[in-house]
Amino acid sequence: MTERASRLALSHAASPPGVLTPAQRAALFLSRIWAWVFLAAMVLFFVVAVPLTTGGSVNFLTVRNSQNILVAIIPVLLLGLGQTFVIIAAGIDLSVGWVMSLASVLSALALRGVFNSGVPLFPSVLVGLAAGVGGAAVVGFVNGVIIAKLKVPAFIVTLGTSFIVRGVAYLMSENTTVIGLPSGIRAYGNDALIYHIGGEGGGLYFLHRPEVSGELLRRMDIILPYPVVVTAFVVAWAMFLLHKTQFGRHTYAIGGSMDAAVRSGIPVDRHIIELYMLSAATSGVAGFLSTLRYTAGSAVIGDPLLLSSIAAVIIGGVSMFGGAGTVIGTVIGALIIAVLTTGLVMLNVDAFWQFIVVGAVVIVAVLIDQSRDLIMARAGGRVRR
Amino acid sequence: MRKTSLMAMAAGLVLALASQGAEAAEKLKIGFLPGVVDPFYQVMQLGVEKAAKDLGVDVVTQIPPTWGVEAQTPLLDAMVARGDLNYIITAPTDKDQMVGPLQAAVDHGIKVITVDTFLGDGDYVKGPVKFPISYIGSDNTEGGRIAARGLAKAIGGKGTVYINSTNPNVSSVEGREKGFKEEMAKDFPDVKVLGPDYNLDDANKATQQTAAVLAREPNLAGAFGTNVFSAQGAGTAVVNAGLGGHVQVVAYDATKQAIELMDKGVVSLVLAQKPFDMGYMAVMFAAADAAGVTSLPRRVETGFAIIDKENVKDPAVARFIYRVPGK
Repeated sequence: MTERASRLALSHAASPPGVLTPAQRAALFLSRIWAWVFLAAMVLFFVVAVPLTTGGSVNFLTVRNSQNILVAIIPVLLLGLGQTFVIIAAGIDLSVGWVMSLASVLSALALRGVFNSGVPLFPSVLVGLAAGVGGAAVVGFVNGVIIAKLKVPAFIVTLGTSFIVRGVAYLMSENTTVIGLPSGIRAYGNDALIYHIGGEGGGLYFLHRPEVSGELLRRMDIILPYPVVVTAFVVAWAMFLLHKTQFGRHTYAIGGSMDAAVRSGIPVDRHIIELYMLSAATSGVAGFLSTLRYTAGSAVIGDPLLLSSIAAVIIGGVSMFGGAGTVIGTVIGALIIAVLTTGLVMLNVDAFWQFIVVGAVVIVAVLIDQSRDLIMARAGGRVRR
Repeated sequence: MRKTSLMAMAAGLVLALASQGAEAAEKLKIGFLPGVVDPFYQVMQLGVEKAAKDLGVDVVTQIPPTWGVEAQTPLLDAMVARGDLNYIITAPTDKDQMVGPLQAAVDHGIKVITVDTFLGDGDYVKGPVKFPISYIGSDNTEGGRIAARGLAKAIGGKGTVYINSTNPNVSSVEGREKGFKEEMAKDFPDVKVLGPDYNLDDANKATQQTAAVLAREPNLAGAFGTNVFSAQGAGTAVVNAGLGGHVQVVAYDATKQAIELMDKGVVSLVLAQKPFDMGYMAVMFAAADAAGVTSLPRRVETGFAIIDKENVKDPAVARFIYRVPGK
């Protein structure tokens, strides 16, 4: 698609500046929605291929699998959400995975401590959330201050803090895993809004897990687990923040041109500090949710997640040069990664292929991004991105 | 003409797939989800596949690329979402954190057998976690004691020794550390134990950590590597420091590298676990449970083969060295 786009652009080099030919317009449109198209094509592929290769005993398109994918995207998506803002503002945050680990440890320690001192479960969980997100935000504040005020490149600062945070998380957790949490938190991390049992003797249940066993239990679908609901709220809030508020407009402005942003009176330093705090905070939510899900804090939980989260952001169309990108793009990017993992497991293909496909898709994403610039350059650069 | 034959072929293919599917639907289906890619689990996979062939069951295998709950859980969830598995055979990467995700599998009607590592305290009858059918693996505390006795003997009953391990809160290596320390404290009061350091299943990191301890403790007499990666790292560091033979290494897990280091006089004792047995027996247990057998033991210890310089050439012992065809 990329090659075609650039060839198209070249063949219409003679058209007057500022005007796009219909073909260029189509290429530009495709380059905007390609991630959706790719996701849809991938889902379609698995919907057809999974029953074929398993003789119809496994289906990709089930309620259970849709919920499984929604749960699977949570950590990558939450880490990617704050990162989306940071990269749009032409920065980078390499500390997100380890900030998530720290938040997991902090929320577990706080939750356990408060609960053991006699506070009921629900308030204890809220204290855990506050400790995880608050502790993470402190790291983000430090990142932001060093980047904005001391003018150290974000890559270096966040690389440095990622190591420091890792060490602190290990030290605080003593042996990397914080255990002895109240068993009741398992419900917060794993239970759901809706339970559905299809077929005979089934039904719909809300908020509480129905007491069933055997065949009924096997048929039960868990719909909208609480962590998915929490994540959906964070995503909605991030969309509002980026696309509907002055904070969002300033983020794009800083990424588009730092000089212009400064000249137009945007409080750039303060904004950058807030961006890194935001990035750390969404990672903090991820750490908190993982503590609930696994009923333990873990200083290594976020280790494998940094690169996947950046990949999701890039696949979602956020430009590494700043100034462009959307929240929904990152959601699509995270979905592509999760759909791929799940689909490959269902096809019984080695999960390692996931790395190869994700890597290729990341590179294609950037190529498409660049081809878009090429088309616009041919058209005299007067087209809105 | 050509079109019709193509269509006939396509129809034939669909029929073939469909009939294959009809057969497959009646077979028992088992998911196999070990901890990480390493020779130990690869040999276990051989056991799983052999049993699957012998017993006529289907197995779906996924191996996490790195050790940890965040690598293992998505694969587990996807296996559960398939909806066609009756049993999952797995090595939980954390004895507490994997309880929730595996309980979710059980909630969906999948039965769980743990191999190599267990959940909770490993007592599925009276312990905090009761839902797995069985734990099939080594008695790792006993393994730690054997390693301690072997190392103490190799260093003449006195001196400083060092433990390199992989991850905290993993039942297998935790048991080994515990048994090792207990045995040293009980029977060898002149042996001082350092560590453990945790390499997070990374042989390079294990090498660095051991090298640092060698630099800090010039009189180090011995090292205990609690699994594949730890033993590789400890052995490599000793060789790099030119201390082969001066610092005795005891290796848990009989990798080819551990045996080579034994030939060179670096490693004095290798504890071979029996991953093939674990894999084979786990599939047997699943098949037996499906057939209605109700008296399966909740805990099976598969024992060790203790390999040293004297018996390493003995075929009855050498067969326990982890060998994967083509690797």
